[in-house]
Amino acid sequence: MERRTFLTSVGVGATAGMAGCLVDNGDGDDEADVTVGIVYSTGGLGDESFNDMAYSGIEDAESDFDIDYQDAEPDTVADMNDMQRQFAGDEDIDLVCCIGFDHETDLIENADEFDDQRFVIIDAVVDADNVDSYVFREHEGSFQVGHLAGLLTETEYAHAGGETNPDDSIVGFVGGEETSLIERFEAGYIAGAEYVDDSIETPSAYAGSWDDPSTGQEIANGMYEDGADVVYHSAGGTGGGVFESAQSYERFAIGVDDDQSLSAEESSDVIVASMIKRVDNAVYDSIESVVEDEFEGGDTNDLGLEEDGVDAVIGQDFEDDLPDDIVNALEDSRQQIIDGDIDVPDNLDDL
Amino acid sequence: MALGAVFVGLFIFALWTVGLVGSSSISSALRLTVPIGFAAMGGIFAEKAGVINIGLEGLLIIGAFGAIASLYALSVTPIGASIWLAFAFAVVASTVVALLFAIVCIEFKADQIIAGLAVWLIALGFAPFASYIIWDQTNSPSVGSFSAWAIPGLSDLPVIGGLFVATPPVILLIIAVPVSWYLLNRTTFGMWIEASGEDPKSLDTAGVDVRKVRYAGVLLSGVYCGIGGAGMALTVGQFVGSGDTMMDGRGFIGLTAYLIGNYNPIAAFFASFLFAGLEALQIQVQQIAGFDVSSRLIGIIPYVTVLVVLAFVGKTQMPSSAGDHYESDD
Repeated sequence: MERRTFLTSVGVGATAGMAGCLVDNGDGDDEADVTVGIVYSTGGLGDESFNDMAYSGIEDAESDFDIDYQDAEPDTVADMNDMQRQFAGDEDIDLVCCIGFDHETDLIENADEFDDQRFVIIDAVVDADNVDSYVFREHEGSFQVGHLAGLLTETEYAHAGGETNPDDSIVGFVGGEETSLIERFEAGYIAGAEYVDDSIETPSAYAGSWDDPSTGQEIANGMYEDGADVVYHSAGGTGGGVFESAQSYERFAIGVDDDQSLSAEESSDVIVASMIKRVDNAVYDSIESVVEDEFEGGDTNDLGLEEDGVDAVIGQDFEDDLPDDIVNALEDSRQQIIDGDIDVPDNLDDL
Repeated sequence: MALGAVFVGLFIFALWTVGLVGSSSISSALRLTVPIGFAAMGGIFAEKAGVINIGLEGLLIIGAFGAIASLYALSVTPIGASIWLAFAFAVVASTVVALLFAIVCIEFKADQIIAGLAVWLIALGFAPFASYIIWDQTNSPSVGSFSAWAIPGLSDLPVIGGLFVATPPVILLIIAVPVSWYLLNRTTFGMWIEASGEDPKSLDTAGVDVRKVRYAGVLLSGVYCGIGGAGMALTVGQFVGSGDTMMDGRGFIGLTAYLIGNYNPIAAFFASFLFAGLEALQIQVQQIAGFDVSSRLIGIIPYVTVLVVLAFVGKTQMPSSAGDHYESDD
């Protein structure tokens, strides 16, 4: 009895666990010219930022070209290797998109082993003939939103669901896991705030997870409690807690990766801006290169403000309402970054 | 042992009251205690009755998912988005899963550890899968949350006033701890639970149905975990099912907490509060300007502390018949 119960339990558990993993999103016909396999990062679809951006890129490509795709959502970094290999070894698949820097180590080996497969990696550089890499200068976009946060905390401003606290000049940052990539967001943001005024306090903390909105909420609660006017998150699903906190304290928050005033619409009354990262364009471009038969491999695309790879977009409830001097100052700093007059640090040591 | 945990809890509390950190940190720690503390108390009832329930984490996940899914569903019905109704549905959902676990363990005499593991694995797979069906993604949108209650009079006090502005799940937790202690130690039902885990034969001889007592213990663990999971999800207003889900192992911390607390609800609460307090503290430490230590290193402080406390503070006395099946002779 025990043995049978064990087998049944594990079987049911494993089946339920796998159910959401591998989904064929093709429209059923096998005649598409190009089939793409896409492996997301652990935040998963519905993070309302990074992975959803990749998803919208592939959706756009699907509507513009004759392609078919399969996708896989790893629960842990350890799942990525299997998913990469499964797609790489599938003869029907013409391109494997690896979304996120966690894919890097596995892809170095798999790109070598599956040398007739084409790969794309977002957020990391893999030096191989059959891999195109896309990286972003997130610190440039983060500098812009940091600049905005710094200007806001020094101004008395109230609109939609939030208002600034004129007594303190504090802007906070909440990260997911502390990696050099996320530190780039943090460094750019802090540099942007300090560009306004060196005396602005910039507390930052990491939740240690991309999936833990409760911890994100408690971190932001503490920051707003201390008098922060704006909190910027770069924490995937954890960021939902930051918005919830901003709403309860009636202060402002800044989203990340896509325009979160649209994707997390319920919180648009506090999302004053978002640092968008055009992961969708990167995915779209890479698929286009395969469709057009122009995939070269071995390229590294480094995308910043100048290439429209990153940008600070104002939230939908705040467009046309931010004071003109703030909007103009942002436009100035943007141009100065592009012209190289402002040197944005990409790590915390260079701050 | 239990005293040890109480002392550690009080020490942290004292640290705060002398002003190392303000009352907002204690409120924050209490909110973080909700899922851990409820899971711990639920685990106590099940294990004291003789059924080791390591599926607490799974029950928390069901509670969290159930709350957000019901709130979302209610918002499109004429009933409207009633948070308390969603809360009730979540508790029912978690209790139903606990009932299934109880049937498998008591009726079919399955290995409790394996069945408990299955509860967790099933919840870990089911909740994101169901989210996918409802919202087309593993994470829900933000659907609404509890607002904090201010306790009249007390919340106006200087310095500690902030402590009396709390979310409903925190207030429930504060009420549930002494009630659980009373239930276990001062009522006939508590005696039965105790006997069912220590010496089921005597209980049987005394004419009490051991099966029913064990069912009651496991079902209570479902109720508690439902409250804990729903309380956490309805505080943040959304369900996140990616990765290890938003519970992120809190049920297992709850399990550790009641072992540290040696099956005493009050000590288990303090052990949970110790973990949550250290979690709140490490968040503060990360933000100290100029303190340049990796957040990953600081982030493990709560876990290391709990391990150290578990290893060195006294001995946990397991109920002698926990994990054993009981077959009545008649």
